[in-house]
Amino acid sequence: MINPKDAHIKPLPMPDADSQAFWLGINEGKLLLQHCQACGHVQYYQQAICRACGSEHLEHRAASGRGKVHSFSVVHRAPGPAFKQDTPYAVILVELEEGPRMISSFVGADPAVVSFDMAVELVCESAGGGVSLPRFRAA
Amino acid sequence: MTLKQTSSTRSLRGKTAVIGAALSAVGRVPGKSALALAADAATKAMADAGIGRGDIDGVLSSHAFAAPFHRFSVAISEYLGIQPTFSNTLQVSGATAATMFNIAAAAIAGGLAETVLVVGGDSLLTGLSPDLALRSMTESRDQQYEMPFGIPVANTFAMTAHRHMKEFGTTAEQFAKVAVTQRDHARRTPGAQMTGPLTVDDVLNSGMVTTPYHKLDCSLISDGGAAFIVTSAERAKALGIAKPIYILGGGECYTHEHIFLMPSLTTTGAVQSSAKAYAMAGCGPKDIDVAGVYDCFTGTVIMILEDLGFCAKGEGGPFVEAGQMTYGGAVPCNTHGGLLSFAHSGMPGSLFHFYEVVNQLRGRCGERQVAGAELGLVHSLGAGFATNATTILGTEATL
Repeated sequence: MINPKDAHIKPLPMPDADSQAFWLGINEGKLLLQHCQACGHVQYYQQAICRACGSEHLEHRAASGRGKVHSFSVVHRAPGPAFKQDTPYAVILVELEEGPRMISSFVGADPAVVSFDMAVELVCESAGGGVSLPRFRAA
Repeated sequence: MTLKQTSSTRSLRGKTAVIGAALSAVGRVPGKSALALAADAATKAMADAGIGRGDIDGVLSSHAFAAPFHRFSVAISEYLGIQPTFSNTLQVSGATAATMFNIAAAAIAGGLAETVLVVGGDSLLTGLSPDLALRSMTESRDQQYEMPFGIPVANTFAMTAHRHMKEFGTTAEQFAKVAVTQRDHARRTPGAQMTGPLTVDDVLNSGMVTTPYHKLDCSLISDGGAAFIVTSAERAKALGIAKPIYILGGGECYTHEHIFLMPSLTTTGAVQSSAKAYAMAGCGPKDIDVAGVYDCFTGTVIMILEDLGFCAKGEGGPFVEAGQMTYGGAVPCNTHGGLLSFAHSGMPGSLFHFYEVVNQLRGRCGERQVAGAELGLVHSLGAGFATNATTILGTEATL
């Protein structure tokens, strides 16, 4: 059964064997992308094989941290009590300079300023419990 | 990534038929467990088909948030006193409904079962607190790369709708028109959860949930169950069923798991799933008389109307605005009111679209009846368009 107490706790990433390096990188302020040495594909998120060609030869490289907003949605009604005090906040779909897209949230200014194709840059922020999250602010 | 289209000479066309369909009470139904709602619908569906428990040898179901059995299909079988020799609990979020019909047809055509109970029931409205109901929705997003950012399921769909506005000039008023059209439909549907009059302004003034979606752009939270009896065409004939509704085609497509890997935010896997279903059924979008289009949010309907081929890409907004998704238009859709106004009890929600389309094809919809409806389509989807499934149904005249 769903435990009512859980609904008040913000979910934090639980790194697994695939993603450990990624979350360590975020804690150090770096957004690691996987570059395939066989086909050149660049991917987010972290996994054991290249999604384009299946190669296992993947190399971590830190992203520039620059990107633009491909789409976004400003949340006024939180998904459960854990996020209630944060509203309104902007969830953004960032297209990174290197190509991949990722989900993140906008920080550092009123969410009302977020717009399509807006330039943003990475900020790795502590989310408590020794975990940081990759968020973005206006560039 | 390019998606491969498979072509096959093997086909489900006309090999199976829906011979029974029923709903439990839907909307706010306190005091009934998810299993009780599913069982109630199942019992009524068997009565509708004129068969008994002993005639069922297959059971397919969806999951239930309020009764989180790992094997809901097995639990509901036990509850009903059935020991099926074919069963599975399917889970591809909102697309599950159409996959249940596709898989029931395939199982029967392939000899795994003769008569399959397709069933779902859940009590999201009174069986879970509202916060937990919402939380149960967010938990379907990825724990590492999505959930930590406070992303409700609504938000994934909202980002696609937002991008649709940017790319094609779709407006908030056009989204609202979907809700208004479907409310007009629900007002004529006995048992619908929302039956009060609704205007575009009401939708726009209903409070923002997650931009661009207002409260009334979002589907309901409900209780309710639905059940169907699917059997072979031969068995339907032997039973002397007055109006069997044949499964003519099915197709599915799974383009991504994470919303950030959706190949395009404005074109969905419904393009591929419906292409497969149309090819199997031997028809096209212009031939469809009545449709059930998954409507978790208003913009979802606009995008899917485009991807099912009812209008061109980007023209969904004007299509809806011109009344093309209601009576007298190109394709009456969600004539029961849909998830937006009839009811949305989670996984069973899209089964309500099947119930409506089956009854339209059986000519049982009273004042909602679409005149001369012979060929129907239901499209189910879920998880930020990660999952898409289409089923095409028809009367004997379409065989």
